[in-house]
Amino acid sequence: MKHDTTPIIELRNFSYTYLEGTPRANEAIQDVSLAIQRGERVAIVGPSHSGKSTVVDAFAHLLRLKSGQVFYEGEDVAAPGYDRAALRRDVGIVFQQPDSQLIEDVVGADVAFGPTAAGLPAEETRRRVEESLEALGLPYPEYRLRYIYALSGGQRRRVAIAGVLAMHTTMLVLDEPMAGLDPRGRRELLGLLRRLADDRDLTLVVCSASLGDASLLCDRVVVLDEGRVAMDGSLREVLREAERLASLDITLPEPTAGARELGKLFPDLPADVLTEEELEAELLTRLGVA
Amino acid sequence: MLELQRNVIFGQFVDTGSMIHRLDPRFKIAAVVVMLAASFLIDDFLGFAVAFALLALIQVASGIPLGYLLRGSQLFFGFLLFILFFQVLFYPGDVSDYLWQWGILSISPEGLKYAAILGLRVVFLYYVTTMLMLTTSLVDLTNGLELIFGPLQRIGVPVNELVLVFVIAIKFVPIFLEEIERLARAQTARGVPFDEGGAIRRARRIGRLLVPIFISGFARADLLSTAMYTRCYRGGRYRTKLRQMKASTTDWAMLALVVAWMVVAWQV
Repeated sequence: MKHDTTPIIELRNFSYTYLEGTPRANEAIQDVSLAIQRGERVAIVGPSHSGKSTVVDAFAHLLRLKSGQVFYEGEDVAAPGYDRAALRRDVGIVFQQPDSQLIEDVVGADVAFGPTAAGLPAEETRRRVEESLEALGLPYPEYRLRYIYALSGGQRRRVAIAGVLAMHTTMLVLDEPMAGLDPRGRRELLGLLRRLADDRDLTLVVCSASLGDASLLCDRVVVLDEGRVAMDGSLREVLREAERLASLDITLPEPTAGARELGKLFPDLPADVLTEEELEAELLTRLGVA
Repeated sequence: MLELQRNVIFGQFVDTGSMIHRLDPRFKIAAVVVMLAASFLIDDFLGFAVAFALLALIQVASGIPLGYLLRGSQLFFGFLLFILFFQVLFYPGDVSDYLWQWGILSISPEGLKYAAILGLRVVFLYYVTTMLMLTTSLVDLTNGLELIFGPLQRIGVPVNELVLVFVIAIKFVPIFLEEIERLARAQTARGVPFDEGGAIRRARRIGRLLVPIFISGFARADLLSTAMYTRCYRGGRYRTKLRQMKASTTDWAMLALVVAWMVVAWQV
């Protein structure tokens, strides 16, 4: 039972500098070590330029590794002869701008791109395309032949996610999945991602500058700041340091932010309030009502 | 992975705050024009040796790392060698002193010399224009060009518009490079391996990037023109400048030095 102890993915002393050796060099990640177990749901949060996207790229070996190592299921992905194509079939990434990962012009063909490239038979590919589009609330008969460039931003993001789902990946990594979505689109996507993670037993990684959305999906939080791991722990552990999160410019979940404000009135109010119900209960106790 | 930004230097501005960066852009452009003209007049190795000595001086004074410049020029040098190779083979030299011949292909001492001079000339042109862009911000470049060509406006040449188009084109180069890298990474993640396979297969994969690049390019251009309209841009003589350029003694001295140096290189 290798999986019980070996992390599904592990970064060891990973550092990365963009445009290294040029006057425009930019040190994005400094000595980050991070291990994620199979089935974990991890939020990677941090302000912009904290290195979230670089970590995401490292997961699927999309960077030339110079310093540090990346292990997938215990194997060094930079080792000579390592099957990178297989790694990328297992680690599905939905990038910040969905447009960059949409390859074909038509929705159906694009979702089919990955399975086809992986050499699946046509019948199976068709089944997966249908299943993935339906899972994202894009009815297959209606969207199959739609042009991607004619879709809205939110729909394109769904197509991008469908393209990754169709690969039946073991890991799903989403970089700022909620950016640019309206409140309803966000609610829908959140519900959908939660369902997917439950149904398929996915290892989920969500990058965001806001803990609000991530707290609804993940139970572990890794906080990045200026390319270093600033905090790493369970959602509640990290929320207990709400002050520090706020100083890093990370958006707190609404009940937590509310509790932080009310802390001026009730100094003994816990910081790790996750839901509105919890906040209400805590307040009622303090007011002597309950 | 595709690392275009590391390997293509064209259109980038690197501010080291050196003395060359601080020169008046009009004088820098004038000096570049003088050097370009001189490169066509110089036609022997000694002349180029003298001319390249000036480049060495500029290189040191600019504070731009030579390694960065060379790595960023690899693609260009590769292309140049490719062209010179055929230049040598097809040069119709004197048949009596051919070093090698096969059908219409030949290598002659004359052909080698001609190709070498041509190569030096192209390298010289490339270096001078690249250095101008590396050491001059786009704002300075625009203002300098507008002032130099300003008088042509009177005879109906749309100088401001032309300069604007030129500058926007240059400005888009690094943006496009970044975009291509991003696309290549995202497509690699989906199973198009940009980091594997031979040269031809790699080149064919780059073809896949063209459609999205064109689409985003048009979208960007559209957005830029809308932004310019909404901010009431109207080119030409209506525009005033926040920073007025004033030539200093240093500028004149630099231009005089370049002219003198080039004349020497031409006459030796």
